[in-house]
Amino acid sequence: MPAAVRRGWAWLVRNWRDRPLWMLIPAGVAVFVIVIVPVCLTIWLSLLNVNVSTLREWLGAPFYGIRNFVNAFTQPSVLGVTLGRSILISVMFSVLTTVLITPFGILAAFSVHRRFRFCGVARAIYLIPYVIPTFVTALIARVVFLNGTGLVDQTLKFLHLTNGNTYWLIGGNAYWAMQLVELWATWPFIYLVTLAGLQSIPKEHYEAAALDGASKPQRLRYIVFPGITNVLLLGMLLSTLFHFGNFTLAFVMFSSPPPPSVEVLPIAAYYNAFDFFDFGVAAAIAVVTMVILIIPGYIYLRMTRLAGRVN
Amino acid sequence: MRALRPPRPAGNPAVTTGAPSRTLEVDDRPGPPGPDGHAAAPGRRRGRGRQHSVQAEAEQLMSPWLAKLVVAVIVLIVLVPVGYMLALSFTPNQDVALGTVSFATLTLENYVHMWSDAPLASGLVNTLIIAGGAALASVAVGLLAAYPLTRFSFRGRRGYLYTLIGVQTVPATTLLLPLFAVFSWIQTTISLHLIGTYWPIIITYMTFGVPLSTWVLVLYLRSVPRDMEEAALVDGCSPLKALWRVVVPVALPAIVVAFVFTFLVGWNDVLFASVLTNQSTGTLAIAIERFASTANGDSLPIYGELMAAAVVSSLPVVVLYLCFQRYLVHGLAAGSATG
Repeated sequence: MPAAVRRGWAWLVRNWRDRPLWMLIPAGVAVFVIVIVPVCLTIWLSLLNVNVSTLREWLGAPFYGIRNFVNAFTQPSVLGVTLGRSILISVMFSVLTTVLITPFGILAAFSVHRRFRFCGVARAIYLIPYVIPTFVTALIARVVFLNGTGLVDQTLKFLHLTNGNTYWLIGGNAYWAMQLVELWATWPFIYLVTLAGLQSIPKEHYEAAALDGASKPQRLRYIVFPGITNVLLLGMLLSTLFHFGNFTLAFVMFSSPPPPSVEVLPIAAYYNAFDFFDFGVAAAIAVVTMVILIIPGYIYLRMTRLAGRVN
Repeated sequence: MRALRPPRPAGNPAVTTGAPSRTLEVDDRPGPPGPDGHAAAPGRRRGRGRQHSVQAEAEQLMSPWLAKLVVAVIVLIVLVPVGYMLALSFTPNQDVALGTVSFATLTLENYVHMWSDAPLASGLVNTLIIAGGAALASVAVGLLAAYPLTRFSFRGRRGYLYTLIGVQTVPATTLLLPLFAVFSWIQTTISLHLIGTYWPIIITYMTFGVPLSTWVLVLYLRSVPRDMEEAALVDGCSPLKALWRVVVPVALPAIVVAFVFTFLVGWNDVLFASVLTNQSTGTLAIAIERFASTANGDSLPIYGELMAAAVVSSLPVVVLYLCFQRYLVHGLAAGSATG
């Protein structure tokens, strides 16, 4: 549409000085080229038969329709897990993590809300699990859960709970080991969010409640929880989204390939693509992941209200 | 189609010194002004003793003893694995393999040998180049976009902002597959060697860096008054020059925060780097990940050295985060707490 282009160009020149909207172009182009185009390509890839022999010229790969999706759901992957099972593992992993860390994070925020000696030290220590890179957390976990000689097995043996050979890093136990590590690593996020919510409650509200003789449970019920609900809900949503995309933990914590019980969606897509070179099935898994995340992603967008508030 | 009003009245000290809007921070100061905008009353200081105790009592959410117990338990839960990592990093490899960790055999040898056993030094350099380059590019692009987004109202602004937030929820594998396919397609069709060089990985990290830094800068610039840059514009500065000479110095704290957070995305990533880098361009995370996979099932377990490498690669990050901890939930709190 040359007319539209010409009009656009005239608009740009007119606005160059007074309203430099051209400054939006680099970020817009970047987001378009490295996010929006790839998302469309993934959808296209998921409809093609792109395997090890057609990868080089994937643009000319035969059209496959929905067969990649059918295959992903009906046939076990390289790691021996179907897509349905991967979805189940991922959903359980992320939802369970959020559900379990939320009360813990709230408790942690309450414990340092009122300042005391070494409060700053405690707050800094609280942040450590969250700020350690995930690959380092996974490495620690790998050693802590070593069979027989790791910290966990040695402790369990010391307490006479097991004989010391629990095999945390293979089989079904692997999921629970990974779940525990994720809990350890991510609760500070809920803590931070709750603390931010607590600090946005005006002091006057507490004082008014104290003057009215409100009891502690009443204060929690009518002042604290209403004050943190919004930010906490957003935090829980965001945390669920994060857990859903956690590739690094499962990838680094276990020897390659990871046991089937930890085959979350990113791991499934990765091994299908880069171990088995079946990009079609991998793209199908990625598309399914995206579809699952559309609803929480939409709620997240609605909740942030960033755009509305700038106006 | 009119310019936005300055978001905050001039003369607020927090604004003119360039500190970000206080409601966005998680800081140690008790009680920033609430959403209704009431700052703490000036007369509060007088009669502090009594006032203070009443206030402290009112704000107390747990009995002091319970709070201390909770703090002790949490600190223990956090520090045991971290302490275990530190202890193992000073223990000879053989002892770790046998499960005998004692303070009698502490040694620094892991910290010496790991540099030759794994390409950690080159990994560190690669991480600095890749994560630093991506962060620099992201902040530059983000600043350019954040400026008009906070200064002008125009059609599509809301959509632009929503897109920026929305793309952050796109799963990483959805981006990795096509980016890899495109890079390898470029490689075969015009025989331009890409995968294994710095460029693809830097561009890939910008997928996270551009939205992140734009968002951080939008939140910050919203609270910066536009008087100074308007003066510069009236004096005949081009918008770009005004941005560079006036806005950049004022927004420096936010620019640093955006840079640090984007940098840490690159520092922590394993997924993209494991596919888009090779032996010579592998980042620190990848060097350690490959080191770890040789530790498994090998005749010589090197867990002691592995933990030493883990300590070295997490120390800078922990320090950076603790320095910037008040900005950790920057956008999050701003987006919802008062929304």
